[in-house]
Formats: sequence, C-alpha cells, structure tokens
Amino acid sequence: MGVISRGVRNTFRNGIRTFSIVIILGLSIGLAITMLIARQAVQAKIDSVKSSIGNTISVSPAGARGFQGGGTPLTADEIAKVSATAHVVSVTTTLQDRLTSSNTNLVSSIDPGTIGRRFGGGGAGGPGGNAAAEANFTLPVTVTGTNDPSSVSTLGGGPGGGGGGGTVKITSGQSFDGKSDTNVALVGQDLATKNNLKVGSTFTAYGTAIQVVGIFDAGNTFSNSGLLMPIAAVQRLSQQPGVISSATVQVDSITNLEGTTTAIKNTLGTTVADVVSQQDTSAQALAPLDNIKSISLYSLIGAVGAGAAIILLTMLMIVRERRREIGVMKAIGAQNLKITAQFMVEAVTFTLMGAGIGFVIGVIAGNPVTKLLVANSAQAATAASTNGRGFGRAFRAAGTSITNIQTTVGWEILLWGLLAAIVIAVVGSAIPAWLISKVRPAEVMRAE
Amino acid sequence: MLKVSNVTKQFSSGDTKVVAVKDVSFEVGDGRFVSIVGKSGSGKSTLLALLGALDRPTSGKIEVGGDDITKYRDHALTNYRGSAIGFIFQSYNLIPNLTALENVMMPMEFAGVGAAQRRKRAEELLTQVGLDATKQARKPGRLSGGEQQRVAIARSLANRPKLILADEPTGNLDTQTGKMIVELLHKLARSEKTTIIAVTHDLEIAGQTDQTFVLRDGVLSAAK
Repeated sequence: MGVISRGVRNTFRNGIRTFSIVIILGLSIGLAITMLIARQAVQAKIDSVKSSIGNTISVSPAGARGFQGGGTPLTADEIAKVSATAHVVSVTTTLQDRLTSSNTNLVSSIDPGTIGRRFGGGGAGGPGGNAAAEANFTLPVTVTGTNDPSSVSTLGGGPGGGGGGGTVKITSGQSFDGKSDTNVALVGQDLATKNNLKVGSTFTAYGTAIQVVGIFDAGNTFSNSGLLMPIAAVQRLSQQPGVISSATVQVDSITNLEGTTTAIKNTLGTTVADVVSQQDTSAQALAPLDNIKSISLYSLIGAVGAGAAIILLTMLMIVRERRREIGVMKAIGAQNLKITAQFMVEAVTFTLMGAGIGFVIGVIAGNPVTKLLVANSAQAATAASTNGRGFGRAFRAAGTSITNIQTTVGWEILLWGLLAAIVIAVVGSAIPAWLISKVRPAEVMRAE
Repeated sequence: MLKVSNVTKQFSSGDTKVVAVKDVSFEVGDGRFVSIVGKSGSGKSTLLALLGALDRPTSGKIEVGGDDITKYRDHALTNYRGSAIGFIFQSYNLIPNLTALENVMMPMEFAGVGAAQRRKRAEELLTQVGLDATKQARKPGRLSGGEQQRVAIARSLANRPKLILADEPTGNLDTQTGKMIVELLHKLARSEKTTIIAVTHDLEIAGQTDQTFVLRDGVLSAAK
C-alpha cells in the first residue's frame, strides 16, 4: 500500500461527505465544461463567418459606386502603391464600361422593366419623354475589363455597386489571359443565348470584331448578361488608357485584413479612394458572439475558481480533522512530502470524480446552453439593428445565421476539462499542504 | 544506550514562562524496560516527546547510540524517528481505514522497505504479538482495545528500533489486558534487545519494569 492507494482510499472514508463534495464539484466542473464547449462552438462559428467573408478589400474611386456617383478613376500608379502594401498577395483590377446600341450589335438579355427604365435613361413618363423611345429602350450591356478573369469578384462593382458579383464558372470554351491585349471575350450565358453566340462566334463592340472564347455562368441574371474582356483591351477600345474603375485586393491572412485596409486607406487617402473590407461589416455582426465568448470565459474562470474553493475548504476541513493522524505519520517516519502527496492524491481523486460528473453535465448541457446564449445575444443584436440600413441589413442577416450553431465535444474538450480538474485539485490543495507541513508531532503528543 | 544530559524544556506563553522539564539527566542501557511515573502535568509527555525527537529541548543533550539527536535537522530527525524509535500511544493512534497489517507495514514503507519484505515482516510481528491472519486483515474499528494496542506494539517494532517510547500504553485497557501488554513489552525488550521507556501513572505497571524514574514538576529522580 503506497501513497497513491492510501490517498484514494482516504477519499471514501466518509461516504456522505464524499458524495456531497463530488456532486458540488461535479456541478462546478460541469459549468466550466459547458462554458468551454460554448466558447469553442462560438469561436468555430466566428472563424467560419470570417472565412466565409474572405480576406479581400475593395478599392474604388472616392465617391463612385459602379456607374453611379462621381470621382476620378484610379490610376496604375495608385494600384502599384496598393500592390506594394505589406500582406497584399494580389490585386485584381477592373474597368467597367457600358455597351449600347451605338457601339455594339449585342442586345441585353435583361428586360428593362420599370427599374431599368427609371435608372437607365428610358424614363418616358417624365417630361420630354416620348412613346417611341420608351418602346425601343434596351438596357446597355456591361463589359468588364479585368486582369484576372478567374477572380470570383470580377463581375462585382464594388460594395453596393451596380455589379452583381458572383463566381465565374466557364460552361464552354476557355478563359483568356487577363494580362493580354487581345480582342477576346467571355460572354455570360444569358447574353450568349439572347445573341445566339457560341465559342468561336464574333460580335461587334467599339466598331471592332470581338471573338467569343468562352461562355460563363456567374449564378445570377445580371452577371450572366455581361461579358468579360482583358482590361488592356477594354482600356484601348473604350479610349480610357490606364483607367481603372475598381480593384479587389487579396490579403495573405484574415488576421491582417484590418491592418492592411488601414494601410491602403492611408496610402491612397480618403479623397482618392474608398477602401472597404467586408470585415468591417462582420465585426458588427460578430459582436454578439464575441460577447458570448467573454461571458463564457468569465464563467469558466468563475467555475474553476469555485471548484478550487470547494476543494480548498474540503481539504482544510480534512487536514484539521486528521491533525493527530498526520502527527502519527510524522512520528513513525513520514516526511512532509509523502504526507502532502497523500492528501493531494485525495484531492485529485475528489476532483476527478467531480470531473466525471462534470463531463456528463457538460455534454448534456453544452449544446442547449450555447444555443440559449447565442439566441439571446442574436435577438438583442437584431433588435438593436432594426432601424439600421446598409450594414444593418448584413448585421441582421448575420444575426440570423449565427443562431445556427452546433457544439461538439472532442478530445480537446476532455483534455481541457481534465486540466481544469487538476488545476482545481492543485490550487485547492496548496494551503492544506502548507498546513500539513506545519503540524508538529509533539503537539499531537500533548493532545494525547 | 540512551544518555540524557541536563535536558530542560521551557515553554513561553506571552510573558509567562513554564519549565516543563528541568535539568533532567539519566542513562538507560540496551534492552532495558524503564518506566517514568508522575502525576498529570508533571512533564511526562513532554519528556517523552523530547526523547522521541518529536520536540527539541531548550538546553541539554540526548544521545542515542552515541548520536546527539538534538543537533539533527528536521528531515534527519524524521528519518531518525522512522528508523530508530518506535512509538506506542495510549489511544493506539492506528489509521482507521487501514487494516492491522497495513498499519504495521506503514513505517516500513516510509523507511523505504520493499513491499514483499514489509508484508512478511508485518505478518511475523503481528503473529508474534498474538494476532492471527483473520485479525491481521481487520481494520482497527473491528479489534478490541487490547488487540489494537498489540497492533500498535507491532507497528512500533516494524523498523527494528533501538528505542521504544510508550505513552500510557495500558491507560485505555482493563487490568488483565494491561498486564498482558506489559508482559509482551518485557518479552520484546529482551528478544529484540530494544530499550523501552514507558510513561505511566500506574505504579503497579511501573513495578513490573526494570527501572523506574519519578517525574515531579519537571524534575526527575530515580525511584529504585
């Protein structure tokens, strides 16, 4: 029989006390594990949301949004400065232009409708409008010049812009070299159907024959009615040499997104460019989750502290109760270290039994408690942004999305829980261990 | 051989100073069974604590086998207690959740004796004091007072100590059992060549020992 077996056996000397202590410890450790599970689930959700947002920054002329607003186009020099900014991996530049019946034989595949007539210049209902113009009005075809046709956002017109955005998936043919200056185009599948275009067909734009090298699907009607060309070709044909209407900056890591956004803003200046990262939006949307992370961290620390306090008081009581026994052990040759180790084994046994119950409580309560915390926070966040516009919409959308949270209990949780239990046992045993070292065997003799 | 020279123990409580043991000197040879008698508060237990290295004297020397134990540091004192001294207490002081056998094995564990060896030695000792295998497997709560004291005696002998210190070893026992325990101690003192010093207030028991000292107000004198 050694120190460990004596310590373990001592745990069961008083059945009722052991039961009570283990249950209370179990609740404390259960709360700690529940908070650990909640924190991990929330962190996973935050990471997921952040990764879905992507690590890109949009740069557009100050005051411009697609074909609306004003401002001065970006220049190659300014884009070179952006490219030279730390953590920038790549810069996709675009120039958007409109092809109308005066400079192309293409017909838009989008019906103008009321919105198109209002914004597109076909406002026949207004003063000066006439019925013929209204009947013949067609929407212009948007041509996007890009140096990277594979980029997912090349069809976008920047935040809030007129571009529809979307992932370009080539359905037939092939892509073009974005750095070339050739008269080739990728045509949206709706525009191709409307104009009976196939790979190898040609159409006219800016008085020049353009060859169709591929057909793409961007997943939305607006983008599928547009076409992509090398930016140098669009600059040349539209007689806008060196002009860039927007740029999408890829950053090496999402953690550097905020710093890089600030650096680009400082480099270009707010009067030259609007620099927007989608993380600005996500930060607001994720604020409720960050709050839950804080709450769960404080609760976790509180629960571990409560557990340590329970063990501390229990061990103080036990040491006080067994002063004579400690004295006897010292009298028959036990060193302080051995006696302390025996009592620490007892504390660890209490804590591990509590941890066992705590794990069960944590596994059962982890998911519902996390969902409850998230639901309450999201509700508060949504209510707070009811009157919001722009970012508020994203905020509400994210608020709904973040409630879809699922907890998982893996080995990591079990190991952290075990570590918490050991911390509880060690912290809770520290003062009793010191008291044990102070027990003098002679005092026990006098008490005889 | 135990040699005590001019040992004094003084306690302070605020401004009050109490001399519990005053300039005590005596010698006891190996294998002798000695008793110290005295009234309650005469300093018997304090003297026993000093002899057992449980406390340090204010002044004086205590030599066991030629070593002055008053110069030992705490760690060395603990080792010394474990290997050279055996204790027998009035209320036995056995560990309640360990069996009789485990109680006897414990001092050997602290002295670093191997598991098999300590089990064998403990079984031998318990058999020697008259406890069979059934009783060896019992916890103290299921043994009589006399049996518990036998376990305590076996425990005190576990590490073959030079000196056994017994504090009122028969104080909680009936006369008949007390007499048996004293006879057992006598027998062991001779067979194990161990010096036994027993503190008692029972003059009849003191009469059964080889030598008796009387302690009165901390001052020791020889009775016979």
